[in-house]
Amino acid sequence: MIHLAHVTKTFGATRAVDDVSLAIARGEIVALVGENGAGKTTLMRVAAGELAADAGTLAREGRAELVHQHFMLVNELTIAENLALTHPGFRFTTRRGIEREAEAAIAASGIELRGVARRVAELSVGERSKLELIKAIARRPATLILDEPTSVLTPAETEELFRVMRRLAGEGTAVVFISHKLPEVFAVAQRIVVMRNGRVVAESMAQDTNAQSLANAMVDRATAQPRDRATGRAGGEIVAIVGVAGNGQTELAARLRDEQPGAAHIPEDRTRDGIVAELTIAENLALRNARWRPREARAHAERMIARYSIRARGPLQRAGDLSGGNQQKVILARELERTRCHPERSEEASRPTRAPGPSLTLGMTPQIVAAEPTRGLDIEATRFVHEQLRAEAANGASILLITSDLDEAFALADAIQVIYRGRLSERLTPAEAAEQIGRLMAGVA
Amino acid sequence: MSRLLSAVLAAVAAVLLLAATAALFGHSPLALLSILVRSSVGSRFAIEGTLLKSVPLLLTGLSVVIAFRAGVWNIGGEGQFIVGALAALAASRFGVVASLLAAMLAGAAWASIASAMRLWRNAPEVLTTILLNFTAIHLLGWSVNGPLRERAAQYPQTDLAAAALPPLASGIHSGVLLALAASVATWWMLYRTMEGLRLRATGFNPFAARWAGIRVGSQLARAMAISGAVAGLAGGIELLGVTHRLFERFAAGYGYSGIAVALLAQLHPLATIASAFFFGALVTGAGELQRTADISAGVATFGQAVVILLLIVFDHVRSTR
Repeated sequence: MIHLAHVTKTFGATRAVDDVSLAIARGEIVALVGENGAGKTTLMRVAAGELAADAGTLAREGRAELVHQHFMLVNELTIAENLALTHPGFRFTTRRGIEREAEAAIAASGIELRGVARRVAELSVGERSKLELIKAIARRPATLILDEPTSVLTPAETEELFRVMRRLAGEGTAVVFISHKLPEVFAVAQRIVVMRNGRVVAESMAQDTNAQSLANAMVDRATAQPRDRATGRAGGEIVAIVGVAGNGQTELAARLRDEQPGAAHIPEDRTRDGIVAELTIAENLALRNARWRPREARAHAERMIARYSIRARGPLQRAGDLSGGNQQKVILARELERTRCHPERSEEASRPTRAPGPSLTLGMTPQIVAAEPTRGLDIEATRFVHEQLRAEAANGASILLITSDLDEAFALADAIQVIYRGRLSERLTPAEAAEQIGRLMAGVA
Repeated sequence: MSRLLSAVLAAVAAVLLLAATAALFGHSPLALLSILVRSSVGSRFAIEGTLLKSVPLLLTGLSVVIAFRAGVWNIGGEGQFIVGALAALAASRFGVVASLLAAMLAGAAWASIASAMRLWRNAPEVLTTILLNFTAIHLLGWSVNGPLRERAAQYPQTDLAAAALPPLASGIHSGVLLALAASVATWWMLYRTMEGLRLRATGFNPFAARWAGIRVGSQLARAMAISGAVAGLAGGIELLGVTHRLFERFAAGYGYSGIAVALLAQLHPLATIASAFFFGALVTGAGELQRTADISAGVATFGQAVVILLLIVFDHVRSTR
């Protein structure tokens, strides 16, 4: 289906893809793994014909569809209208007509998505990513490329996606799956390709490798084992809010943003809510400041780039040019440094906080609210974010972690609350949560 | 294609297209270009004329730069220009400074009506500012025919303003310096103050701005007010420096032309100086074409339109690279 030979693509001084050759056959599910900035997305954009390679050749049979990590939807239009936009050529139709077509396309894709008359702006991120997928499948591509498709999906939705991928492969579609999550890669891929620094560094059939060796190939060193719970905290704690996406997590985070302006807020949707892509790193870091002094800001940004190991050309680089993980580090640097500079924050944020549900309150006043802080990040960046949050807790900060990644919740949290239809459960210890979480997330009393 | 290059190309292409179009109607393009250049920058007198036209264009251009940078679509420069001039006339007996301050306040207040309608009824400012233009135009028309009509009651115009901007040289008033200072001040505000950083952040991404603790609604309202103040100042300076009295066609489209000026400058306050001078030259040259070659001075508007269209095309080319 796709044959790439000696492909190289540079952006400015950065070699995003460096002499990569890769062939993907009909009916094959190939996982492309690697850290943020390893060149996976760039390589696949070349494969899909979105970018022209600087060197090398591309041979492609049939259409290739790339489902982006960032949504390419028109927020003001409905699900049905967004699907109708993909229709080639001119035609007359009616609202009813395109809604019927949309329902047919959704049914044919095997993905569950209801309410085609809803505007995209009203959809949860999970639903949006489903819509992107349906859009791509509806065009009947010979090759389907999915960029981090599971980062916004619940476990059940992920299973559903894998079923769809297997069915498409069975029908002869070549499927490429870009991911950081090794268990998922092993669950669905037949062949696994590892990229690092723009090159393919390992390639093997799924049954011939294991997670440890893949992780080693990705980061070029053995990944550290998750460490034991930090000890010696004074007052600091991490409370995780878990639940199926769309149960009020977004509203809770937005409400805390408005009610606790003094706290650090790490938003769920970093490209929309976290980063001003057109501003520089220095400017993004300074948005919370009282004063804007370009020279000071540049020096501060240089320190932050070093402290948070942000991979950037310098403080004056456009934040939008950074990879997702590095954008997240910029947000983290802005928000965490801010609370660090203001030890009086706990007084500022002393009112008890009401949860979105009518009756339940959070059992804490968070100084840091982190919503899906590691969504779409690679192993290295995820570990970095986790370390930062642990360190803040060890320094006495109370942290609210809103996450749909249960592993993350259990790895970090001192207490867990489940959110379901806008209501929070009682505070559970991790041990209690391990027993009850499935029931609570499903809303079974 | 760099932003500067696409701006220069658009400007050059607009002038060439203008000449080519004139050729279609039997005029010699070279002769036209020569008239255009000679009458706009070919002599000291020509340059003075161009400068006089550039001053209001520069200020209304800056007004648009500020608003568009914040992501608020202030199309109301024309109306703010007019109410600014009305206020300047009313306050002119307190001196030039008071008169110009009144112009800025009035422009800001007029623009803020649109902000208020946005906040209370979510009315889009593209619409409300345009409607406020018509309101201002009719307010001016009524004023010069009614309460503000000159004592001689001969023409529909006001008496001379009680103050005037001191001349800089023969034919040039000191508003030129004020306009240049306004460019630098706008640049300083946008790129050297927290207000400017917040304004730009809000314009680029209001969602992220909100998460970063910026109160987006009041940020937009402030940007609109500042933008209106600069357009009002343009009206005040035009009154005190050039016309010295008001009449129905006083605004002459300066408010709308500011959009073309700002877009050609790629929304940069210092580039707006060059952009305003270019359009000022175009307007001056077009006036001469009308006198000597019997071509409507409307070709200046044609030039503006071509520049905007070309910029849109170039932007598209750039973004799809």
